[in-house]
Amino acid sequence: MGRIKYHKAAGLGAILLAVLLLLATGCQSQHRFIKKTAFKGTKAIIITFAAPVDETWATDISNYRVYEKPDPDIQLKIGSIVLSNDGRTVTLHFEEALNQNQPHMVTMDNIMSEGKSVGSAFVKVKKLYLGVLFSVLIGAMLIHNFVFTKYLGLCVFFGTSQKKSTAVGMGITFTIVMVISAMMSWALYQFVLKPYHLDYLQIIVFIGLVSLSVQAVDTILRKINPMLFKAFGVYLVLVIANCIILAVPLILADNEYNAWESLMLALGAGLGFLVALFLMSSARERLELANVPPTYRGLPIAFVVAGLFALAFLGFSGMSLF
Amino acid sequence: MDPVLIKMAIGGLVLLGCIGLFFGIGLALAAHRFAVQVNPKVEEVLEVLAGAQ
Repeated sequence: MGRIKYHKAAGLGAILLAVLLLLATGCQSQHRFIKKTAFKGTKAIIITFAAPVDETWATDISNYRVYEKPDPDIQLKIGSIVLSNDGRTVTLHFEEALNQNQPHMVTMDNIMSEGKSVGSAFVKVKKLYLGVLFSVLIGAMLIHNFVFTKYLGLCVFFGTSQKKSTAVGMGITFTIVMVISAMMSWALYQFVLKPYHLDYLQIIVFIGLVSLSVQAVDTILRKINPMLFKAFGVYLVLVIANCIILAVPLILADNEYNAWESLMLALGAGLGFLVALFLMSSARERLELANVPPTYRGLPIAFVVAGLFALAFLGFSGMSLF
Repeated sequence: MDPVLIKMAIGGLVLLGCIGLFFGIGLALAAHRFAVQVNPKVEEVLEVLAGAQ
């Protein structure tokens, strides 16, 4: 009993540490006088100071220089500057929309606060990193759902979506296998394949890692939960041949994602598959009772329903978060 | 042949060999740790049956 408690505490501690690390990377400040920088809407940057700044200094456009980090030569044009009533927050309005995927650098000359100069500042404005991670997660789960918008993994999808309990079990197992194999593939790609120019082996290596992790889950599940193991039947082994589980490492390798983004993409893909399976199995359980024409019973009507779900998921397309 | 190509080929062989060795040992340990007791009579009965289906 005590051992289990200890493990739980250690797990919680690790998660807490990870969240704190993320927060620390997300909200760093670069100058002692500047508390916060952030994007606001599509065309503005907000800068919060530690103390009120002088209005004559703050509203003078020539005191600010802003550019995107990769192109220091191209200065962005500031349209107007608004100082808040308490004098601590400055909003820079730009004439054109900002590309928020790039960090922006802001230079402020001789910041004047209460008649004294507190020195120049050179600060970075970027999207909150947690926001990026969250948008990767939701993007993989709903907006680019692998089943309904990319039509991957349909074999397992139709095979295990007849009963809700099997569908949910399959979705959870799939998510676990996906996260394990994607993280292994990511590490192997970043630290072995890429530095030693062995990229040409990526498909073989990724398939190998997937099948090995499926084999491990198979061995462990057989002992831990024999009922679920029986319910999966042949489909657990079919996870090896699932295209989603191979697509994710290839996408990770192509887009050069870092560890957190990879984790979020793998989790999003797995949860997206779980959502798809759950929706489909709910619909198919009702179809069992519905008065379906005999020629359409079984798989044909399931394909029609999947098409309708795909149409519904089309509503998410083009959405962007943050 | 180009030594760079030979190096890449050997690198690939070493990499796949290492993965195989590592996961082979890992899976063997897992199979040992999570071994399931199967009644040997199940196998024997299946052996005796015709097995046409």
